[in-house]
Amino acid sequence: MPEPREIDGRNLLPPEPLELTLAALETLAPGEELVVLLYCQPAPLYSVLDQNGYRHRSELRPDGTNEIRISKV
Amino acid sequence: MQPTLSFEQAPPISVPYRFFLTAPLFGVTAGLLLTWLGPAALASRWTPGAAALTHLIAAGLMLQTMCGALLQFVAVAAGANIWRPRLVAAVVHPLITAGALLLAMGFALGLPFLFRLAAALLAAPIGLFVGVLALALIKTPARGMTLHSLRLAVFGLLVTLTLGVTLAGTLGWPGDWPLSLPFLTLVNVHVAWGLGGWALLLVIGVSYLVVPMFQLTPAYPVWLTRLLPAGLFLALLAWSLQLGREMPPHWLAAVALAGMLLAGLYAVTTLRLQSRRRRHVSDATLVFWRGAMVLLLILSLSWLLFAALPRLDGQPRAPLWLGILALPGVFVSVINGMLYKIVPFLNWLHLQRQGDPRQPPPNMKQMIPERAMRGQMFLHFAAVALLLAALPWPSLARPAGLAFAASCLWLEWNLVGAVRQYARLLRDRIGAAGSGRGS
Repeated sequence: MPEPREIDGRNLLPPEPLELTLAALETLAPGEELVVLLYCQPAPLYSVLDQNGYRHRSELRPDGTNEIRISKV
Repeated sequence: MQPTLSFEQAPPISVPYRFFLTAPLFGVTAGLLLTWLGPAALASRWTPGAAALTHLIAAGLMLQTMCGALLQFVAVAAGANIWRPRLVAAVVHPLITAGALLLAMGFALGLPFLFRLAAALLAAPIGLFVGVLALALIKTPARGMTLHSLRLAVFGLLVTLTLGVTLAGTLGWPGDWPLSLPFLTLVNVHVAWGLGGWALLLVIGVSYLVVPMFQLTPAYPVWLTRLLPAGLFLALLAWSLQLGREMPPHWLAAVALAGMLLAGLYAVTTLRLQSRRRRHVSDATLVFWRGAMVLLLILSLSWLLFAALPRLDGQPRAPLWLGILALPGVFVSVINGMLYKIVPFLNWLHLQRQGDPRQPPPNMKQMIPERAMRGQMFLHFAAVALLLAALPWPSLARPAGLAFAASCLWLEWNLVGAVRQYARLLRDRIGAAGSGRGS
């Protein structure tokens, strides 16, 4: 299984993390996983994912980082 | 608690923009009025000019932006559904615009019928606004201290309005008004709820979300996010007891001190968080916020100084010093800074949804030139400094008024430029999407 691609949006200003994630989704292969790291719960990203057939689950790390794992349904 | 943004419920862009584009014009009017009236307006807080200027800023500039921003923010940040935002904006915007203008004219000209008219024009739309906002904020499933602060802030607006209408009734029907509360007490409680309840609680609630997100700072400490809204609200309730019975002066002084200490604590914490931001990039919004927090700290310290030195407290210009620090100083600075973040962001958000989704997203930085924002920011802070300096040196009142009018006009220019840029980019995107389909 290939290493998941990672976008670290924690030190980026909005809307840059969202832009980078949307760009990465364009090239996400079936079975591939994209990991996005943020300090917030990005509801706009979640709604884009839900509406466009992507699966996502998020996990809160002890340092407050929200780790979101995205893959195609 | 983690901040959450949800764009799906965002109302149409015209809903907040009508408020944002009207707000600076009230600042221009206030600056020109001060230029016209000159030093006499700043002789004490009780001059007709000072009351007119205060309400042009508080019920004009501030109320406009806060209403527009809340209609947007509550939907996006709290995931709350606003009932028919287009209709609410269409009713609220023209009425509060006319109401605030008539109120300022009532003070400046001393005509009772203008107070009656202004009270009616402001009470109906603000009542509608409070009802719609309260419903959305109660029904939303979202949680968190931002939401909690917003609920208290909206309650603060309701109390401010109720006391304001009572005061306008006293001025509108001199001698015939059935409510016989002491005028000074009503004014003091009205001011406290307007500035400490509505405005400061709103700024605090919004800052919990936007300071970490847009300025890349650590989050506010959880204990502080709980203490500030609850503490301020309790202080306001305690301060309001004077409406029911005469309270001993030391009690009122202690309550005011508690409120000011909380405000100072909030300012210091925000400044500390900003100094620990993860990326040391500085933009106009950050400097506006920092300037506002420094001014809030000076406001709290000034209050302490006045309380400790009765010789200073007895000066008729002492309350004006606090008022200038609070209104053009703290709140107009925060509003200015937020507009420079909100408007480019809304442009980006709404453009992103238009046209061909395969087009590259618009660039937020191309909405308002950074140089224009910084130039206007320097002028704004120069105007605040001049306004404060006009208290010990009254000959500076007219230059201060002109500088404030000019900075608000420049803000308007920058915002209009952003809206025109939005229209241009929208045309380009829709045109490109059309030609892409045709090819």
